[in-house]
Amino acid sequence: MVEARPEMLRTLFILAASQLIVACAPKPVISDEMMRLEGPMPADFSGSWERDYTRGDDFNTALGQALYRLSRKTNDSRLPVEQRMGNGTAVPQRHRASVYAIGRLAELITRPQVLTISQSEREISVAREDDYAIFCAFYDGVAKNTASNFGAEVCGWDGQQLVSHVTLPDGLQITHRFTVAQNGKNLRVVTTVRSSTSPVPFTLSRFYKKFEAPSSDFNCVETLSMRRVCSTGNLEL
Amino acid sequence: MGLPLAIMLVIFGAGEFAAAQTEPARELSKLNVAVAVFDPGIPEDISIHRDLDVFPRIRKIEALFLPFVLRDTLAQTGEWGAVRVVPEPDESAELLVTGTIVGSDGNILELYVLATDASGRVWLDRTFTGIVTDDYAVSSAGADEALEVTLSYQSLYDSVATGLLEVRESLSSHDLERITEFSLLRYARRLAPVAFSGFMTELPDGTVQIDRLPAKDDPMMGRIELVRSTEYVITDAVDTKFRELRAEIATVYDVWREFRRKTVYYEREDLRRARDTRGDGERGSYEAITNSYDNYRYHRITEQEQDRLAVAFINEAGPTIESIESRVAKLEAWVELKYAEWRRILEELFEVETGGSD
Repeated sequence: MVEARPEMLRTLFILAASQLIVACAPKPVISDEMMRLEGPMPADFSGSWERDYTRGDDFNTALGQALYRLSRKTNDSRLPVEQRMGNGTAVPQRHRASVYAIGRLAELITRPQVLTISQSEREISVAREDDYAIFCAFYDGVAKNTASNFGAEVCGWDGQQLVSHVTLPDGLQITHRFTVAQNGKNLRVVTTVRSSTSPVPFTLSRFYKKFEAPSSDFNCVETLSMRRVCSTGNLEL
Repeated sequence: MGLPLAIMLVIFGAGEFAAAQTEPARELSKLNVAVAVFDPGIPEDISIHRDLDVFPRIRKIEALFLPFVLRDTLAQTGEWGAVRVVPEPDESAELLVTGTIVGSDGNILELYVLATDASGRVWLDRTFTGIVTDDYAVSSAGADEALEVTLSYQSLYDSVATGLLEVRESLSSHDLERITEFSLLRYARRLAPVAFSGFMTELPDGTVQIDRLPAKDDPMMGRIELVRSTEYVITDAVDTKFRELRAEIATVYDVWREFRRKTVYYEREDLRRARDTRGDGERGSYEAITNSYDNYRYHRITEQEQDRLAVAFINEAGPTIESIESRVAKLEAWVELKYAEWRRILEELFEVETGGSD
């Protein structure tokens, strides 16, 4: 028993350390519970949405706030000196550059003026100009993940908010939270970009107003050989 | 023979019967081949369709379309009797070829092929893979390349044809003769089970053993052969309908394949781009993170474009396919109905000729 003590101590130490790691591990943006969907979708986002420029974050203001948070984190007196990022003095330039970089990316991603959202019982697709459509599908009551060499995407519901989270190589993460107002006429999209190189995330809010896309007199259908085929009457291919 | 002949003339009409009567005699080695419409190989779990590049309706179309390429390949060798595409596997076929599409992405086709003869002997039981070898840049040079694209899996079908031929050449004349006998007996048993159930036994390994043969001049066998010849007329009519399907969707399918190949090309480009830009910009810099995002963005756009094209293909080819499927279904229902009549007539004849005893 006495000889086994060091191994027991080591095991106990590993167990304690793993408990500590689990306790300190960041909470996933989208939990398993958020990925489950029973019954109908909690909110209806379907429709055409145009950017409301009277509301939402200004990039420079958001950047200033992020840099302020960085500064606070850098000089947080509650942290031991060795854990402070700027040794209690100035914020390192590389951290400022990282925050600025993710801020510019957030601005780039949130640039679309129009969002076209289609929603069915099991799927939501958010079409954006010059970007891929954010797609969220719930088959058998569970959100379907997509993963490739380029990144992984997961989505879920946080109450009435639709959350989409993308993890890209090198620790880059992008989260979109969609919230529709109770009157169904306003949409808020909060986009947060995180990077392993930036001590603080960068968040931008964008607001959209619902609008009626002009209805066309034409019935159109996509085809392969003839591309888009339109007719004023019934279409028979 | 007079009574059943009259009945059959009523059932089929004189023209069809005359066509059935004119089938020429064939060499023993030239077995008739039935190629069943392929199993599209669609997994039940729809959530994995995206990952497996399975577009269910396109797979169904391929399952209808690709057997014709195999049929044509076999027919062009001149080594076989009639090669037909049939809607369902027919165990009484002299040689039955079934296939399951394991994978098809425009660049690679994986096809599991099972070929068995009427005696239960397995001829082929493996997966064949066809790869488009021509470079995208070359194949996209002009519209005339469409035909080449269609034929680009030809090596796969050639391999199947070669495989079948190798097995056939390993068989003796006696084996081949037995296959035709088994085929006819299986058909007879299906048509008149009471009369023909005692002629053969199925063994545990799936093969069949002939316990006894009907007499050469057995009038029932003559009638069975007559009915079978006539059924071939019906089968050929069904086959013709499927051929129409092929002709009607061939062009659009070629376009689909070309688009699909482009998608695969874009996927490769996405990978190349990601590889080439990996070292661009210091880690955490705007350049590095926008590269990372753009790589993902292009990849997702490629995937979504592929889905859109799949829908466009279905929009275009779907109505044609539904129409043909409906016509084929009507024909099949008609054949089923006639089968029931033939079975009843044959069983009654058997009763009359044997006095009710076996």
